[in-house]
Amino acid sequence: MSLFAATLESTVRLATPLLLAAMGEIIAERSGVLNLGVEGMMLAGALGGFAAAVLTGSIWVGFAVGILAGMTLALLHAVLCISLNADQVISGIMLTLLGVGLTTYFGRGYVGQSIEGFQRIAIPGLVEIPILGTALFSITALDYLSLLLVPVVWYVLFRTNIGAEITAVGEDPETADTAGVPVFHIQYACVLIGGALAGAAGAQLSLAFTNFWGVEMTAGRGWIAVALVIFAQWRIIPLLGGAYFFAGIDALSFRSSAVREYVVDLVGISALESMFQFLLNPQVMNTYPYLLTIAVLWYVMRQTNRNELGAPSALLKSYDRE
Amino acid sequence: MIPEVTVTNREDVPQWLSYGAPLGTILAALLVASVPLLWLNINPIWVYWELFVSQPTTVSGFADVVRTALPLFFAGLAVYLPLKAGLWNIGAEGQLFVGAVVGAAIALHVELPSLLLIPLMLVAAGIAGALYGAIPGYLRAEHDVNEIISSLMLTFTATTFTGYLLRGPLQGSSGQSATDRLPDAAQLPSVLTPRLHVGVGLIVVVALASYILLNHTRLGYEIVFIGSNPAAATQAGISTYKIYITVFVLGGLLAGIAGIVEVAGVHGRLFEDFSPGYGFTAVAVALLGRNGVGQVLLAALFFGVLTAGGTTIAVTQNVPSALIDVIVALTILFLLTAEFVKDHRINIAWRGSDPEAASQTGGSP
Amino acid sequence: MTTDPLLELEGITKRFGEVVANDDISFSVDRGEVHALLGENGAGKSTLMNILYGLYSPSSGTIRLNGDPQTFEAPKDAIDAGIGMVHQHFMLIPRMTVLENIVLGEREHTATGDGIVDRFKRIFGRDRAGPRERLSELAEQYGLAVDPSEKVWELDVGEQQRVEILKALYRDIDLLILDEPTAVLTPTESEQLFETISTLVDEGLTVIFITHKLWEIERLADRVTVLRNGKRIETVETDGVSRSDLAEMMVGREVLFDIDKARVPTGETVLSASGLQARDDRGLEAIAGVDLTVEASEIVGIAGVSGNGQRELAECLIGYRPLEAGQIELDGKNLTGAAPRTIIDSGVSFIPEDRYAHGCAEELSVMHNAGVKIYRNGELDSSRLFLDYDGLESYADKLVDRFDVRGVTDVNRTPAGTLSGGNLQKLILGRELSRAPRLLVANQPTRGVDVGAIEHIREQLVEQQQDGTGVVLISEDLDEILDLSDRVLVMYDGEFVHETTPAETNKWELGVYMSTGAAPAADDQLISEAQ
Repeated sequence: MSLFAATLESTVRLATPLLLAAMGEIIAERSGVLNLGVEGMMLAGALGGFAAAVLTGSIWVGFAVGILAGMTLALLHAVLCISLNADQVISGIMLTLLGVGLTTYFGRGYVGQSIEGFQRIAIPGLVEIPILGTALFSITALDYLSLLLVPVVWYVLFRTNIGAEITAVGEDPETADTAGVPVFHIQYACVLIGGALAGAAGAQLSLAFTNFWGVEMTAGRGWIAVALVIFAQWRIIPLLGGAYFFAGIDALSFRSSAVREYVVDLVGISALESMFQFLLNPQVMNTYPYLLTIAVLWYVMRQTNRNELGAPSALLKSYDRE
Repeated sequence: MIPEVTVTNREDVPQWLSYGAPLGTILAALLVASVPLLWLNINPIWVYWELFVSQPTTVSGFADVVRTALPLFFAGLAVYLPLKAGLWNIGAEGQLFVGAVVGAAIALHVELPSLLLIPLMLVAAGIAGALYGAIPGYLRAEHDVNEIISSLMLTFTATTFTGYLLRGPLQGSSGQSATDRLPDAAQLPSVLTPRLHVGVGLIVVVALASYILLNHTRLGYEIVFIGSNPAAATQAGISTYKIYITVFVLGGLLAGIAGIVEVAGVHGRLFEDFSPGYGFTAVAVALLGRNGVGQVLLAALFFGVLTAGGTTIAVTQNVPSALIDVIVALTILFLLTAEFVKDHRINIAWRGSDPEAASQTGGSP
Repeated sequence: MTTDPLLELEGITKRFGEVVANDDISFSVDRGEVHALLGENGAGKSTLMNILYGLYSPSSGTIRLNGDPQTFEAPKDAIDAGIGMVHQHFMLIPRMTVLENIVLGEREHTATGDGIVDRFKRIFGRDRAGPRERLSELAEQYGLAVDPSEKVWELDVGEQQRVEILKALYRDIDLLILDEPTAVLTPTESEQLFETISTLVDEGLTVIFITHKLWEIERLADRVTVLRNGKRIETVETDGVSRSDLAEMMVGREVLFDIDKARVPTGETVLSASGLQARDDRGLEAIAGVDLTVEASEIVGIAGVSGNGQRELAECLIGYRPLEAGQIELDGKNLTGAAPRTIIDSGVSFIPEDRYAHGCAEELSVMHNAGVKIYRNGELDSSRLFLDYDGLESYADKLVDRFDVRGVTDVNRTPAGTLSGGNLQKLILGRELSRAPRLLVANQPTRGVDVGAIEHIREQLVEQQQDGTGVVLISEDLDEILDLSDRVLVMYDGEFVHETTPAETNKWELGVYMSTGAAPAADDQLISEAQ
C-alpha cells in the first residue's frame, strides 16, 4: 500500500474519536457550558467499555457501558456548573483529573488483556474504489457511526426547534428564559450528551482501535477535541474538516520517517532538508493542532465584525435566575 | 410527603462555616476516596494514617513533603497571581516545562562552576518561563483572547515540543527520551538531608516576596483592584493592559523556576514525565489557598503530603498512586460544593400534599 | 370604547427591601386606548410595567384583566393572558434571524397534538413555512415591514424594535406595553413608530407606553397617568391638560428659590470643551456636539432625564470614553484623547453614576477604595515600588471621619460593598474631593442616597466650590440643580437645549425643557391645540 493510502486509512480511523468527542463538546458549548473534562470522560469510556466487554464478552455492551461512564462524569459537571453555579473551568479540570485517577486506579487489572474488538466492515463495491476504497469503506461500525452522526448533529443543531433553542440558551439564557425556553433542561441535556459522546469516543479507542486498555491511553485526544471545537468556531462542517486535518497530522506523525524521506526526495534541495526534518518530526507535528487553534483564535479576535464568528455569547457564564 | 427544598442567598457567612469549610472539604474527599480503597480490600484508615501521620513525621518523609511542595507552591502562585487580577493561568504546566528545558539546556552546554552555573540556570529558566507566560497575557491584553484557552493550548505545545527536544537535540546517550545526567556543577546541593535540596530555601524567599508584592507594593494594590472591578480600575487610571501582562509574566517566571529546580534538584536530569501534572494541581492549590499567600503555601504542603506520601505507599502498601489524583480531584469537587453551601442557605421542609401549604409559596422579589 | 376597562391596577405596591418602588398605585386602562405613563427616572414606571409583565410579583395589590384577577409567575403567564412588552433593552438574539427570534420558545406551530409523535415533532421538527406565513400576515396587517431571514445584528435599531413588536403580536396579545420606545430612535424612526401604534390601535389593540417626553404624549396618548416617587399623581385625558401642567405633575410644585449660599467669584477657565461628539455602548450617537466651559469656583448644573447623553459626556470628560470629535482643554492644556490616568493626574475627580459598577471594588476594604486616586501621588508611594499602607490606613480613617461615612468598623477590613448606598457615596465623594481637584465631574451624586447623606454631600460640593474647584453637576434632581448651581444647562437628546441661571428659571420650566427639548409655550396652550 502506498504511503498516501496508508496514511489516509489511518486518518479516517484516527478521526473517529476526535469527531465523536468534538461533536459532544460542540453540543455542550453551544448551550453555554464549557466542558474541560472531555479527556477524563474519554478515559472513563475507554476503561468502562473495555472492562464491560471483557466481562460480558460483548463489544456492543461494552460500547454502551462506555457511553454511560462518560455520561456519569458529565452528570457531575452538569450538577456543579448548572445547578450549583460552580466555575466551569475548575469543574472540567477536576473531572479530567478524576477520570485519569479513577481509570488508572481501577484499570490496573485490565492492563495486558486484549479482546477481539470491532472488526472492519467492508462495503462491497465501494471498497473497490482505488485508494479511497479501503480508507473510507472498510472501517469498523463505530467509524461508520461517527460519520453518520455528523449530518444528524448538524441537522438537530441547525434545522430543528430544539437546535434553535439550544443556540438561544448559549447566546442569551435570560432572553431564552423569558421566552419560555426550558434553559436548565436544555443545558443538562447538552452536557450529558457531550459526556455520552466523549465516553463513546473513549470506548472506540479501546474497543475498535487498539483493542486493549492502557493507562492514559487517550494521550491528550480529549484536549485536541476541545481545541478542535474552537478551531472549527462552533460549526459542524469545519469540525469535520478539522477532525480529519488533525487526525491526518496524527497519522503522518506515526509514519514520520517515511514521510520525511518522501518530502525530502520530492523537494530535492538539501539545504531545506533539515528544515523539513524538523517540521515533519512527529512530536513537532503534534504541536500543530494547538498552535493552529491559537492562530484561529487570534485571527477571529482581530476581526471587527465578530457577529458571525466567535463563541456562543453566554459560554462560561452560569445563569442564575435571580 | 414531599421534601421541598428552598435555596436562598446568604447575607453573611457564619463563622463556623468559613472555618469549617476547608476542613469539611478534605474530610469529605477522604471519605469518598475510601471507597476505591475498600474495593481493593485496602484499609483506608491505615492508608490515611500512613499518609498524614506516619510518613510526614519521619525525617525522610518530611523532606519528601517539602521537596514536593516546592513546585506545587511555585506553580500554585503562578496561578494565584493572575487569579488575583481576575485571570486564569491554566498554562503553569507549560511554563514549568519551558523553564526546565531552557535551564537544562544551559546546564548541559555551558561550563561554569556551580556557584555561577546554578544562578544562571535559575535566571534563564525564570526568564524563559516569564516570556512563555507573557504570551497568553499579551493576547488577552491586546486582543481580548480568552486566556484559559490560549494558556491551555500553549501548555500542550510546550509539553509536546519538549518530547521532540528530548528525542532530538537534547537527547542523552541512553537513547531514551531524556537528557544525560546534568553535570555535577548543575546539580543542586543537598541541605540537611540527602533528599532535600537547597532549592527549598527559595520557598521562604518566594513566599515572602509574593506576600510583600500583594500586600505592600503599588503593583499589588493595582492587581487586587483590577481583580475586584476592572471597569472601576480603568476609570481610576489603572492600566489593565500592563497589569494583565505583568501577572502572567510573574506567573511564568515562578513556574519556570519551579521547573528547573525540579530537574536539577530532584531528578538530576530532564526526562519526559518529570512533572506529574504540577501545573494542573496548581489550580487546586490556588483555589484552596484563595485567601492569601500563606494559605497557598499550606495548600501546597497539603498536596505535597498527599503526593509524596502517595509515592511511598504505592510501594509499601501496594496502593496505586493514582489514588492521590482521585483524592486531589475529590478535594476540588467538594471545594466547589462548599462554595455553594457557603453562599446559599438550604432549607428542606417536609410538606404533606396539603394544598393550602402549597399555595403559601408566593412569589418573591 | 367600551365602558368596562381592559386593565385595572388596584393598590399595587412593590418593595425592594426598604425601598418602596411602587406605592399603592391604582388606575385603569380602557380597551382600545393609548395610555401613556409619565414620570422621571426612579418614579417607578419600569417597575410597575415589569410587574404587569410578570417579571416581578407585587408586594401587594391586584391586577385585573377584563375584571378577572391575575397572578403572573413568569412572563409566559403574562403573554398567555394577552400582555406583550417591548423593553428598552431589546430581548433579541443578534446571531439568530428575525423569524427565529420571533418564534423562539413557541413550538406549537410544528405540531399541536399530545401524542408521542407530535411531541417528538415539536422537538426535532421545524416548521418555518407556517410561521413565515403568519408573520407576513401580521406584518401586512400592522404595517411592519421586516425580512424574516435577516440576522438581527444586521438590522438597525428601528427595525429591531419592529421585530420586538412583531414578537409580541405573534402571540395574540390584547395589550402592548412599550418602555421608552423612542429612547433609541431617530426622529424619522419615531414617526414610523407612531404610525405603527396608530395602526395597532385601529386593529383593536390597547397600548401603554412609558415616556418622559411630553410631545410624544400629546402626539399619541388618549390619557396619561403621571407617577412621581412611586406614587400615582393623577390620571388625566390629554385633551384637557397643558404641557406645563404635566411638567408640574412630573417634577413637583413650582417653588421660587432664594439662593442663599455665599456667592464666590468665579476664576479662570478650568475646563473648556468644544464640539464633543461620542457614541454610546451600542454604537449610537450619544453626544451630538456639546460645548461646555467651567470656571474655577463655578458649579455648572446639567439638568436632564438620565439617558440623554449625560453619562457619555461624563465618561468623555474623564477619558474613559473615546471622542469621535471635539476638544477638551484643562487649565489650558490640551487633553483631547488622553488616558484616564493623565486626566486624573491633571486634577480631575469623578463621581460615577453607578457607584457599584464603576465607583468601587465591592470586595475590597474601605481603605482600598478610599485610596484609589491617591495611592500613586508620590507621598504614599515615595519609593515607587512600595505602598505605604499605614499611611493609606490613616488617610482612610481621616476620610471616613471627615466625610461622615458610617458603618465602617475597621477601614482595613470592612468591605466597601457592605456600606449602605449613602455611605458608600460619601466615601467616594470624600476620596474624590480630598485631592483638591481642579475639576469635579459629579454624575447623579445623590441618587439613591438617604436624606441625611444627601444634605452632607451637597454641603461638601458647595465647600469644594468655595475652595476653587470647578464642578460639573449632572443631576435629575431639579431641587439640587437649582439649589447649588451657578449656571444651569439642560441636556436633551445629546445636546444642550437651554442655558440659564437658577434665578431666571424654575422647576417646571426646566421640566418642560427636560421633557420636550424646547421652551414652554409663551401662553399656556392646551395639548390638543398644540397639534
